[in-house]
Amino acid sequence: MSRLRFVGVRLASLLGLLGALSLVLFLLQEVSGADPVSATIGGNASPDAVAAARERLGLDDPAPQRYLAFVGGLLTGDLGTSFRTRRPVAEDIGAYLPATLELVLVAFLLAVLLGVLFAVSSMLRWPLAGVFRGLLFVGSTAPTFMLGILGIIVFYKLLGWLPASGRGGVTDGPTGLSVLDSMLAGDPAATGDALAHVVMPALALAVGPALAIGRVLRSSLTETLRSDHVRTATAKGLTETQVLRGHVLRNSLGASLSMGALQLGFMFGGVLLVEGVFTWGGLGSYLSASLPVSDFPAVAGVTFVLGGLYVAVNTAADVLQSVADPRISVS
Amino acid sequence: MDVAVPPSTKTPPDPGPVRTADPVARLQGLDVSLERNGVRSPILHGVDLEVGRGEIVGVVGESGSGKSVMSMAMLGLLPESSRPRIDGTLEVAGMDLRTAPPARLREARRSRLGVVFQDPMTSLNPTMLVGRQVAEKAGSPQEAVRLMRAVGIPQPERRYRSYPHELSGGLRQRVMIAMALAGRPELVVADEPTTALDVTVQAQILRLLADMRDEIGCSVVMITHDLGVAAQVADRIAVMYRGRIVETGTTRQVLEHPQHPYTLGLLGSRLSLDSDRSRPLWSLPAEAAGTAGAASGGCAFASRCRFAVEACAEGVPTLDEVAAGDGHAEHRAACFESGRVGDRGVSRTLLDPLPPLPDHGRGAPLIQAAELECTFQVRDEHGRRARLGALRGVTFDLQPGESVAVVGESGSGKSTLLRVAGHLEKRFTGSVRGPRGTDIQMVFQDAGSSLTPWMTVREVLHERLPRGTDRAEKESRARAILDRVGLPPAVLDAIPGELSGGQRQRVVLARATIVPPRVLLCDEPTSALDVSVAANVLNLINEMRRELGIAVMFVTHDLAVARIVGDRIAVMYLGRIVEVGRAEDVIARPQHPYTRNLVAAVPRPGTIVEPLPGEPASALDPPTGCAFHPRCPVAVPECSSTVVGIQLTAVDGRSTADVARRHEVACLRRGEI
Repeated sequence: MSRLRFVGVRLASLLGLLGALSLVLFLLQEVSGADPVSATIGGNASPDAVAAARERLGLDDPAPQRYLAFVGGLLTGDLGTSFRTRRPVAEDIGAYLPATLELVLVAFLLAVLLGVLFAVSSMLRWPLAGVFRGLLFVGSTAPTFMLGILGIIVFYKLLGWLPASGRGGVTDGPTGLSVLDSMLAGDPAATGDALAHVVMPALALAVGPALAIGRVLRSSLTETLRSDHVRTATAKGLTETQVLRGHVLRNSLGASLSMGALQLGFMFGGVLLVEGVFTWGGLGSYLSASLPVSDFPAVAGVTFVLGGLYVAVNTAADVLQSVADPRISVS
Repeated sequence: MDVAVPPSTKTPPDPGPVRTADPVARLQGLDVSLERNGVRSPILHGVDLEVGRGEIVGVVGESGSGKSVMSMAMLGLLPESSRPRIDGTLEVAGMDLRTAPPARLREARRSRLGVVFQDPMTSLNPTMLVGRQVAEKAGSPQEAVRLMRAVGIPQPERRYRSYPHELSGGLRQRVMIAMALAGRPELVVADEPTTALDVTVQAQILRLLADMRDEIGCSVVMITHDLGVAAQVADRIAVMYRGRIVETGTTRQVLEHPQHPYTLGLLGSRLSLDSDRSRPLWSLPAEAAGTAGAASGGCAFASRCRFAVEACAEGVPTLDEVAAGDGHAEHRAACFESGRVGDRGVSRTLLDPLPPLPDHGRGAPLIQAAELECTFQVRDEHGRRARLGALRGVTFDLQPGESVAVVGESGSGKSTLLRVAGHLEKRFTGSVRGPRGTDIQMVFQDAGSSLTPWMTVREVLHERLPRGTDRAEKESRARAILDRVGLPPAVLDAIPGELSGGQRQRVVLARATIVPPRVLLCDEPTSALDVSVAANVLNLINEMRRELGIAVMFVTHDLAVARIVGDRIAVMYLGRIVEVGRAEDVIARPQHPYTRNLVAAVPRPGTIVEPLPGEPASALDPPTGCAFHPRCPVAVPECSSTVVGIQLTAVDGRSTADVARRHEVACLRRGEI
């Protein structure tokens, strides 16, 4: 009962946040001074043509009405028409989003894997524990784009192990995710190629989040291990594995989950930079082509989609947290 | 709420049970040292202790005595991070804990040992159903439910599916005990099992532990700071000081013929309802910092000991059998002078009576509060919005120079009342008139967190003096107030972290009284302190009342403490005052059934208190009518009626205008019982 209520409240606030996001985008559009008319019909059009275009685009309507039209468009999946490509923004995003999603998903998996690995390695009793501890605290100061460039220099230029740009494997399959599509096509060579292309940008994107997740996981593990109830579990005569599985891991997850979600959210921002470095044909490329020409519908569409993903991810994390810790839905 | 204990009062078996040649635990010459921040320090020195089958041994000591380290060592639970070093004999449940392989140790913990920790909130896993936590040790859910029923958890099948935060403190501790008893252990170690609980619930838990011993025949090692708690259930008592056992014997031997001055001090500073109110409390001198006898090779207690002779500084006395004693079990004490100590009268009559209280006349009340209602918006255990009635119609006043003790269990609203009186709580209806600003000062339970950690005592004290006071005068007043609270001037340069709990509480008192206020509000200022230190703080409050004429409002859960500081006592239950009157009237002739039970629940050595059934009802959903009626032994149907308003009414018609002498009770059946 209370769990359902909690989920309901979270979903309601998700909708509220999306509403707020749409308002911010609309206001930005208002003050940006981008002129959709000259963008669509060209700067040299006759005054009559301009007036007709304004009429057609509804630009002379009062602001609240235009905002409602904007929200109505968002609800029906109509994000407007790109000034640059002259195609519906929703279609453009549909074409570029899978590449970005793939990169973010692979990077997130890597981040979680590396985070857990780093946290555990820094806590085990072995000679390298100190090194990992140091990495956890110092490592995250390295900027993402620099890691990308460094990766290109080392693994492409010096070693020649990995490609420096673009996507590989099957890029026009049903899911749009090259690694998955290559596997679905049953083509090992293509799968390898897809992986080789994705691994470096994904790593560059994953390092910062991995360290953040590792740091949080490490501190909550340390705290849980010292807690009274773990002492109780040990005193009950449970084996070390039972104690870790039943009493330590779940209790340490909460903070890491929300940090993971936060980082996943940040990745939707960071991915734009990494795509630039590796000329990865995703939303980043689309955005960097749209920005210089003030293609506002395109920019707003990308922002709305990425922002929505960010909010959705955080909501999912809140709900997961309440599953991990039954006290959350109370307070 | 029903409790599965039979309603008879009984005394523990005496003389102690037959001790077999095959003890459950045998500690001999046990030395334990632990490492902290890279520094190794010895914690236990040559501890000898045997626990017989079916025996309850009370291990009594204050903070720093090593009692918890000993109990953890007996379970093989000393944290590895402190790199414990153990020498001597440590045999528990038939194995040598120093050499036992981890798998065997685990097996023993699972089936032959049980443990109950102090705080059942933190000691249970917050993310696992309590039933599953019991089942982990019991082996099956069915067995877990059976155990939960056996320890008196109502509706165990339903409670199985609760999380710890959904249970009350008393129920959580019962869950811990159910877990400890799973697998019919030979030995249960209980580390301060009642300290975190309300008084009436404490009695229930002690009773449960004693009953469990009778039923399954396990031995119990009961660790406590309170000699009175140990005395209620233990067959034998071991008193620890600074890592050594200083006295051991049957409960009767230790209580009636204490042979060590420390035991004597503990007994003397323990408050009971017969403690002499006209004299300062007997207390152990505070420990002088840095003069630990152990370091200098002598008796660790020597610096606080009234019996100390030269020999005490030179050698450590061994735990030897004392000549006196009544047969069955040996009575041992580690003191060169135990012969002199045996004459217990020595310590008792040394103190001069307190001077009389200054007369403040019959002026207007200093604080006058009427019809206080205080409701907080909170969330209940299901996350729903709920209204918590912390105060539900309280009328109260405090005369100049008077001291009123407010007694109640958690949730009674006693602290809220204090905060309203101190103008710290604004969300109330009703009226409060009284001094404000520097005329009113507060002292809280946790002196550690009510002092700014980076300010020296000098800065803390100077801050309270009026601006413009010149530096020399500030300094001399700071020194004077420290002297009054019994601290050396050297303390001026210390920061709170460098002081002990008792010293910090004195600094807080000094801060509150350096500019004498008209009212001092105290919220459980002694409950976090060791017994021997608490007595000092109570003495200090009583002294300052006399010398500075300060009125005191003192909140406590402990009736014996209330009796010492309060001219009047007000008993609160679920947001209402149910009885108020002169301390001697309330204690000697309690009128409300709840007060009677509180009086009966003050631990007396050798008797297990008849526990009051159930726990305080939730303040979120107070019972109708008299909130106490579900637990009341004399309740009649009208008590739950919402129609009959239950007002404070003068006892035996002694409705006197003299507030200080009035005795009032809020009970429908007053006068009948």
